[in-house]
Amino acid sequence: MGETISLQEIIKIIKKRLVLIIALTVIGCAVAAGISFYAITPIYDAQTQILVNQKGNADQVYSLQSTNIDLSLINTYQVIITSPVILTPVLESLDLDKTTGQLAQQISVFSKTDSKVVNIRVEDPNPAVAVDISNTVAEVFKENIPQLMSIDNISILSAAKLSENPSPVKPNKMMNIAIGAVIGVMLGIGLTFLIEYLDMSIKSERDVEDYLELPVIGMVDLIKEENQKRFSLIPRKARRG
Amino acid sequence: MVRLSLRKKKNVLQNANAARKLVTFTETKSHVIEQFRTIRTNIRFSMPDEPLKTILITSSTPGEGKSTNAANLGVVFAQEDKKVLIIDADMRKPTLHHTFKTFNKVGLSNVLARRSELHDAIQETFIVGLDVITSGPIPPNPAELLSSQGLDVLLQEVKNQYDIIIIDSPPLLSVTDAQILANKCDGAIMILNTGVIDKRAAKKAQTLLAASHTKILGVVLNNYKTKNHYNYYDGYRYAE
Repeated sequence: MGETISLQEIIKIIKKRLVLIIALTVIGCAVAAGISFYAITPIYDAQTQILVNQKGNADQVYSLQSTNIDLSLINTYQVIITSPVILTPVLESLDLDKTTGQLAQQISVFSKTDSKVVNIRVEDPNPAVAVDISNTVAEVFKENIPQLMSIDNISILSAAKLSENPSPVKPNKMMNIAIGAVIGVMLGIGLTFLIEYLDMSIKSERDVEDYLELPVIGMVDLIKEENQKRFSLIPRKARRG
Repeated sequence: MVRLSLRKKKNVLQNANAARKLVTFTETKSHVIEQFRTIRTNIRFSMPDEPLKTILITSSTPGEGKSTNAANLGVVFAQEDKKVLIIDADMRKPTLHHTFKTFNKVGLSNVLARRSELHDAIQETFIVGLDVITSGPIPPNPAELLSSQGLDVLLQEVKNQYDIIIIDSPPLLSVTDAQILANKCDGAIMILNTGVIDKRAAKKAQTLLAASHTKILGVVLNNYKTKNHYNYYDGYRYAE
């Protein structure tokens, strides 16, 4: 059928099933919250910062050339940090039951443009393990770099520390609940229109005119029960007797 | 067991509601009365050239409001000082005698079976100008009775005595009675239970009515939820 639905009709349809939509939104929020709080294991993170800066003569330290060399090396370092060359010794020294690939996924290395500081960020369900990994990675990297690149320009700027009350970085509860709400709303609206589409009942004069092509000669409201009770056809006396 | 008990409950409910609601009589200021008056006006305008005396009230499925509409329409026509007769041709589930608190010992089935005279079957009601013929005892063969010559004779006779004859019929999709009746009436009105009745069922009913060569006067949307602007006019009327 070549039916067109006007904006007013859409609003009317949504209004009619507003309760359903709201209910689904609340359910979406609740499910997302439930999953975030109970089903997903919280992940903690730890960050170790390393400084890429060439050691050597005091007057050489701030030379533009050496700074440029350091900066251009940072991209290379980022790849080296997550390579098995570094991660295998890390796994051995920490006695972890993981592959280097799995460990590499936990580690993210990033630095700001033109900054010589490189951040090694590690995510792990155990906050102490995250701290250990990030510090060990930084140390192993620092020890190995002179051999690999024949340049000794790494120093650890700040080591990761285990805070007393670590708070998880994942899952992002508010974000998950928001996503749950959005999914709930969309599901509700989708369901509303599906119900409306599948409902083949005649609801208005327009339906009769479109579908039966008959004139509507009248509409009769729902006749309420109470009307009848108030004006009973049998007189009270007769009913008693 | 569960099914059985459900069924019992339903039966009780049906008995309690057997009398159809006569808002047009019991109330004076309801907007439902105004709605019935509108239907009355529209019926009069729907066939201005041909004499429109016998009107069939039918629907596609049971429980859409045929009997309620037939009774209330009868009342609004009578309020217009017309001589009105309502015939309960639903011999399978008659309700007219409950609505108007009349006896149902002698009715349509007796007359059609030639067991009694027409004037014995016509009963006056508490509404001035409104007479009824109730269904009579439930016969085993309603369809045959209705298709007999007896109904033609009866209708011819009552047409001379009354201004308007409203015939309450069984649903179209359940039994053939309504089609037989429609063929003998000047016009038919289809009652649709708004929001409940399926479009396909309504279409099927329309096809059945068309097959019986009756003019369909139009559709009445029953149990319709009116919008607020009707209430505004309600208030306007009260102020008069």
